[in-house]
Amino acid sequence: MAQVRETSLPSGSGARWSSGGGGGASPEEAVEKAGKMEEEAAGATKASWGQEAEEMKLEPLQERKPAPEENLTWSSSGGDEKVLPSIPPRCHSSSSPVCPRRKPRPRPQPRARSRCLPGLSPHPASCRPPLPPPPPPPPAQRPRAWRGSRRRSRPGSRPQTRRSCSGYLDGSRDPGGLGDWLLEVEFGQGPTGCSHVESFKVGKNWQKNLRLIYQRFVWSGTPETRKRKAKSCICHVCSTHMNRLHSCLSCVFFGCFTEKHIHRHAETKQHHLAVDLYHGVIYCFMCKDYVYDKDIEQIAKETKEKILRFLTSTSTDVSHQQFMTSGIEDKQSICETKEQEPKLVKPKKKRRKKSVYTVGLRGLINLGNTCFMNCIVQALTHIPLLKDFFLSDKHKCIMTSPSLCLVCEMSSLFHAMYSGSRTPHIPYKLLHLIWIHAEHLAGYRQQDAHEFLIAILDVLHRHSKDDSGGQETNNPNCCNCIIDQIFTGGLQSDVTCQTCHSVSTTIDPCWDISLDLPGSCATFDSQNPERADSTVSRDDHIPGIPSLTDCLQWFTRPEHLGSSAKIKCNSCQSYQESTKQLTMKKLPIVACFHLKRFEHVGKQRRKINTFISFPLELDMTPFLASTKESRMKEGQPPTDCVPNENKYSLFAVINHHGTLESGHYTSFIRQQKDQWFSCDDAIITKATIEDLLYSEGYLLFYHKQGLEKD
Amino acid sequence: MNKDAQMRAAINQKLIETGERERLKELLRAKLIECGWKDQLKAHCKEVIKEKGLEHVTVDDLVAEITPKGRETGFTMLRRLVLNSQGQAVLLPQPSRLLRL
Repeated sequence: MAQVRETSLPSGSGARWSSGGGGGASPEEAVEKAGKMEEEAAGATKASWGQEAEEMKLEPLQERKPAPEENLTWSSSGGDEKVLPSIPPRCHSSSSPVCPRRKPRPRPQPRARSRCLPGLSPHPASCRPPLPPPPPPPPAQRPRAWRGSRRRSRPGSRPQTRRSCSGYLDGSRDPGGLGDWLLEVEFGQGPTGCSHVESFKVGKNWQKNLRLIYQRFVWSGTPETRKRKAKSCICHVCSTHMNRLHSCLSCVFFGCFTEKHIHRHAETKQHHLAVDLYHGVIYCFMCKDYVYDKDIEQIAKETKEKILRFLTSTSTDVSHQQFMTSGIEDKQSICETKEQEPKLVKPKKKRRKKSVYTVGLRGLINLGNTCFMNCIVQALTHIPLLKDFFLSDKHKCIMTSPSLCLVCEMSSLFHAMYSGSRTPHIPYKLLHLIWIHAEHLAGYRQQDAHEFLIAILDVLHRHSKDDSGGQETNNPNCCNCIIDQIFTGGLQSDVTCQTCHSVSTTIDPCWDISLDLPGSCATFDSQNPERADSTVSRDDHIPGIPSLTDCLQWFTRPEHLGSSAKIKCNSCQSYQESTKQLTMKKLPIVACFHLKRFEHVGKQRRKINTFISFPLELDMTPFLASTKESRMKEGQPPTDCVPNENKYSLFAVINHHGTLESGHYTSFIRQQKDQWFSCDDAIITKATIEDLLYSEGYLLFYHKQGLEKD
Repeated sequence: MNKDAQMRAAINQKLIETGERERLKELLRAKLIECGWKDQLKAHCKEVIKEKGLEHVTVDDLVAEITPKGRETGFTMLRRLVLNSQGQAVLLPQPSRLLRL
């Protein structure tokens, strides 16, 4: 697994929460000062200083250099354990580390910060005196345990909350995303809320009434409640259903917020609390702000869960379901942890400038020698066009039984991978479908990743065909399914008769290009690799080391077929010696290069471990059929405009480790323009470009430039 | 209430009754997240909070500040939302990303 040195520090200077500004305030001083802050009408500058001081207090380890991005490791604890968070949130305060697999780190991982913090009020000035924080536990121990628990009990993190905190029934705990990081600077408190909420909570049956309100008017799931909500949820003054409608907690009154109708009611009736019917948050008219009470949040959460459970059991839309359920599981774990130990949460702002985008990166559980599948899945799920296709739900199932449709399963897989969840995904359904549709891959034996790639593309292609159209079902040239759009290239084979020089051309569709390697029986080890094409820029050229470009040149060389393989020439009307040459007629959007490392010569099978260097950017122009033709005509390669459409960027590399009999597949995946991650089944780590470029390389995935997302 | 508002109320009722409203809300939420709108707005929120100072900002302040911006950018982003041939809502890709075949 690659370890990482961060190449650039998160720039603290421009960040809002720069650590340097607070000076050397000790925790106690900082508390005092922050306490004073609450009482003064502090200006913005003071406020920010106070915030920094609070931060100093919260983070005694701050002065150290921020840890490199190796913090990004997240993993399951061995493949076969549960993948849902199970560690109780309290664990990070115990003395024993809960995640023995993790190395101790100098600083807690910033990203695993959870975002929702329902139990605390965002408004410190409301009715609560600041409490002195408990003494921080010994630094060496605390970050490790904390981080461990962070990862386990709350697998979500920032990218995840895009979906989770505003899960199906809205991020009620987090209107606008405030609650979370505001609370980072909150002093550790017990149950919060305000005194008015407290007095409300002593009323008779307050829980029952609150629950009723939630069930009937905020999160109405059943048809009856929805009907009731539709009819009755309008402002009693102006009859609007919009304008931030609130319901009074003490009586049956609905009033809109924007027009202050609910405010009027609160004043006249002295009912100080109301609930927002869109988000379920409680507003206190005395404190003039939304308050977050732990008990009320608990009730809200339970109500929502009930409704969601009901809804997901009735919902038939697969992606909808997945979306909602992933929303639940993340949300639960997020809010629980946050409630327990808010003061240990490290503010993330420092890292925000250099945030690594990890949505779409999820580990995959190995189901028994299925690393070959996991790698291919990682590569496929990071093809931007394919991602767009599936996440926009463009697939319309043509199978008679959709549960057997592999494309539908890919669609759910994409949704799962991009759900924002960071727990490893278990692709058992995909595996099962592959077994059904590609019997030669069934079983738990070790398989070849390339073979799997071809098989899965084939099944996806078959399941994507339009049955009703009058197209030839077996002619891939006519198919316009997403697989063909992305992967199919045209391989041109020209056979030239040596006698009359007539050329017979065929063009075959291909999904990948399999390249012989030097050192194999089939290649150019003994001869000098052709370096005639010096005009081509060679990004992968290391003297003495064969490169991908060398392999491609070998692949597209004119090959004398020899006297034992004469071809019947149509113009000569006889068998003649000929040369054959392969070139690319049509370039696919995603080009997959397969380095033929597994050699079978008779009964002998061996793996070729020769290191082949490969570039981050590849220009396919020299290997095009058109280039060859113009070269033959003009006698030199075209040097004017090299069109950009032949330029490719590397985005995934699959490596094989071990021997032919027993090996393991891992992959490198690129996120954004230059962030690389190593994916080893369920374990994802940040990787450097060096790690990538010095890896052996077995399957190389390149994407046409200009058609990628950022 | 004038006729327009009446019709709107009636439609809203129907939407709630059938559960469509929640579904649509969810869909919109997903699309807005997908195109980065939520993050943009979140960043803006944080700026506002920094400006106003943590202890003194209220939800109302934030709502007042970000509602106009949010509405405007939201509409811009959602204008790309169309129904495809299968009746599903998709965000039109930005022009540079259309397939050229």
